[in-house]
Amino acid sequence: MRNSTVIRESWPTSGRLAAWPAGVLIAALMALAVAGCAGGDPLVGLFLYNEADPYILEFGRQILGAAPSGFAIKKFDAANSQPIQNEQIDNFLDRRPDLLVVNPVDRLGAYAIIQRARSAAVPVVFFNREPLAADMALWDRVWYVGAKAIQSGRLQAELVIKLFGGDPAHLNAFDRNGDNVIQALILKGEQGHQDAEIRTREVLHSFEERAFRVEVLALEIANWNQAEAYEKIHHLLRQYQSAIELVISNNDAMALGAISRMRQNGWFNDADGNGVIDSRDPDWTPVVGIDGLRAAEQAITEGYLYGTVKNDSLSMALAIIELAEFLLGRRSGSSLSATVEDGRYIWVDYTPYVYQP
Amino acid sequence: MKKPPEWSISIGFNIFITTLGIVFVALLLTGLVFLLFFSATLNGLVERNAREINKQIVMNFESYINSVIETANYIEFASYNRDLTTEAAALSELLRQNVNLKRDVLAIFLFDSTGNKVLGSGLDVARRDSVASQAWFRTTVATDGVFHFNDWQASSLVDSREDLVIPVSKSFEFLNGGRLERGVLLIELNNAGLTDLARKTNLGRDGFLLIVDEAGSLLYSSEASPDRRTAPALAVVADLFMGGQRHDLAGTEMFVNVNTLGQTRWRIVTISNADESAGLARRLIVLLLFILAVITLLAALFSGLISMRLSKPISQLKSSMLEIETGKFIAPIEVRGQREIVSLAHSFNSMIGKLQDLMARLVDEQQEKRKTELRALQNQINPHFLYNTLDSIVWLAEQQRNKDVIATVVALARFFRISISKGQNFISLAEEMEHVRHYLTIQSIRYVNKFTYGFDVPDELLAGKVMKLVLQPLVENAIYHGVGGEGGHIAIAARQRDGFLVLSVTNTGYGISDEKIALLCKAMRGTAEKSSVGLRNVYQRLKLYYGESADILVESRPDESTTISLLVPLAGPEERS
Repeated sequence: MRNSTVIRESWPTSGRLAAWPAGVLIAALMALAVAGCAGGDPLVGLFLYNEADPYILEFGRQILGAAPSGFAIKKFDAANSQPIQNEQIDNFLDRRPDLLVVNPVDRLGAYAIIQRARSAAVPVVFFNREPLAADMALWDRVWYVGAKAIQSGRLQAELVIKLFGGDPAHLNAFDRNGDNVIQALILKGEQGHQDAEIRTREVLHSFEERAFRVEVLALEIANWNQAEAYEKIHHLLRQYQSAIELVISNNDAMALGAISRMRQNGWFNDADGNGVIDSRDPDWTPVVGIDGLRAAEQAITEGYLYGTVKNDSLSMALAIIELAEFLLGRRSGSSLSATVEDGRYIWVDYTPYVYQP
Repeated sequence: MKKPPEWSISIGFNIFITTLGIVFVALLLTGLVFLLFFSATLNGLVERNAREINKQIVMNFESYINSVIETANYIEFASYNRDLTTEAAALSELLRQNVNLKRDVLAIFLFDSTGNKVLGSGLDVARRDSVASQAWFRTTVATDGVFHFNDWQASSLVDSREDLVIPVSKSFEFLNGGRLERGVLLIELNNAGLTDLARKTNLGRDGFLLIVDEAGSLLYSSEASPDRRTAPALAVVADLFMGGQRHDLAGTEMFVNVNTLGQTRWRIVTISNADESAGLARRLIVLLLFILAVITLLAALFSGLISMRLSKPISQLKSSMLEIETGKFIAPIEVRGQREIVSLAHSFNSMIGKLQDLMARLVDEQQEKRKTELRALQNQINPHFLYNTLDSIVWLAEQQRNKDVIATVVALARFFRISISKGQNFISLAEEMEHVRHYLTIQSIRYVNKFTYGFDVPDELLAGKVMKLVLQPLVENAIYHGVGGEGGHIAIAARQRDGFLVLSVTNTGYGISDEKIALLCKAMRGTAEKSSVGLRNVYQRLKLYYGESADILVESRPDESTTISLLVPLAGPEERS
């Protein structure tokens, strides 16, 4: 009889043993859940439309570089696909971030991003591509940091006007044929692209306003792309040869592509052999770009590229970070270095950039 | 030993329940974890797959949209710097070529800012007036720089066409007489291109596709009966701008995935069946339950067998012990089974053996002790008898009855000699009879005329051994209690009957009642207070030496006689080790 008593007494023990694995499992799951919630740094998502675009690649780096310590920034590249970017944003919002910084692929699709962020109550800062005003008005926690495309075209025209002497009636020696009309090639970004359209339209419009006569010898579309510009300008150089007095490019990449082909075709001479192309050489033809890539600055220093209009990504990056700090409650609204227009827009000026010895 | 408590469980049941419990819990946990993991993985997989399909579909649509945009871009590019006033024919040709080239393009028109047609052919005159008031025209003028993929129209602007059309419009700059003017370029698409794409997408059983505008209004549904699930899906899409969610649509669990369609304000909504994965999980649960049941059953079977094998010898042992508890010693237990149990049974058996030996020895010792006591008693000479006899001798001597004195003294001497009989316990029946005769001789001299006596003993029995001094107490009783008054008779007889030597003493007299007989029997067994010392002594010695079969019978006929018989087994005294 004692035997059975002993075994009965061991029952609760075996019961505990059986319950043990379940307990451990639950404890482990809870630990995981707790670990998942941990982390004090504000989580910020940075969504770039396409890192294959050198300007955006650099922009992204500048934003990351400008971020102070204590910011956990996750960067995503949408590879120029809005569905991919949508998926990235949708998934990222499940991680309960504090802020989204978005360079949309498709500015028309921004309304969906705003609505999605709004449902998750996560503020959004757009940059580089401006959503429609109607979409910006969907929610009061949406901001935009960017530059006005109109300004870029105008400043580009200013650079050219300055180079040609500033007097529409009497152009200087850069008007090689002396007809008081600037014969120009235009390298356009992407047909139908808002920036390409505005830049092209505004540069021509500015000349018109200032009464400078410009004859567009040819307008070529090179899709913002250096290699495409290099290919497409080839036949134009052959066709117009020295009649070309100016090359206007919608961006630096295409300008650099054009310069590569021009150099290959023997357009630039280093007369004094100092490693710098001399703009006083009578065969020198000015090329102007927009964006202010590092490679473009280099080309300006070397004398190949006359000038560019800096789409000041560094200032924009700083403005984005300042705005982010403000939105995360780490900075007062009054300490922002940029002015906020209409409560939600920060405009960063383009700046002309030419060689300064 | 106390009775086991009510809740106590047997070893076998314990083993059974423990094994079964462990197997069941382990299986249940494993199954549960597996199921959770599996369904989570499966759900994730199906959801990812649904998202991927949605993305792919959107990309297909995007390439279609892009081809439309390319057409517009080409027109814009090709018309660059061409003045409408001088090259109207060439520009019209450009539009016409594009209409012919593109299968999906129904018509292309260029309107000026007031809605008047500038380029394009086939415009329905009746509809022309309303162009400026059309919603698409107004939004295009309001927002330049982007393409407008407008709400689908029930009819084309082109006469004789009543297709469902998609107006794609864009703010457009054109040279007119050397002046840049702003107008609206309209490309009318038939919806076949998009609907074909939608129809070709395979979203599985019950899957379908919606195209909604920015306000969430339905542009297109590929569902065969659009009222069934399209309406609830639209309700979902009203709050869902991107990403996927699970929803119950018309009783079926569906994945609703939403994505924006690039360059447009539209959203592509794909709805695919999520119940299929749930169904798979359900089938898995059934399978797991089946496995659980089968394995539990097997475990029950095997643990039952094992516990039975283990507990059967133990319960055998237990029942043997219980029997011993009640005082019964039984034959050695035969137990087959586990080695431990068998050796336990062996130990138990040898223990019981030793116990039995011990108890037997104890009983023997007790009996020996008793015998010694009884012998001492039997050897005691009744002092009254001696006194009375001596008294009667004195009386006889006074009476000068010398012969009687001699006879009495001789009888007394013989009586005592046989009483002693060199310490032997058993004497021949002849000697026993002699002993009684001497006694009767003495008593008859003392009680003259009170009684007569006679012997009836066959000669062949005389040599048989019998326990000594068994008859004298009977005769003593007959003299003192049986024969009353004068002229009584005492008959002593020996017979052989049914394996017994029957020695009887019969006396005449009043006899004794049945109640008295019963009392006498009780007295003999030593349970009554008052007892005849002589009779009890005889009885107990008989039992002690001859065993249970030996007995004393008392018969009485009222007013006639009383017979007391000793039943002595002929086999002789029982031999005890």
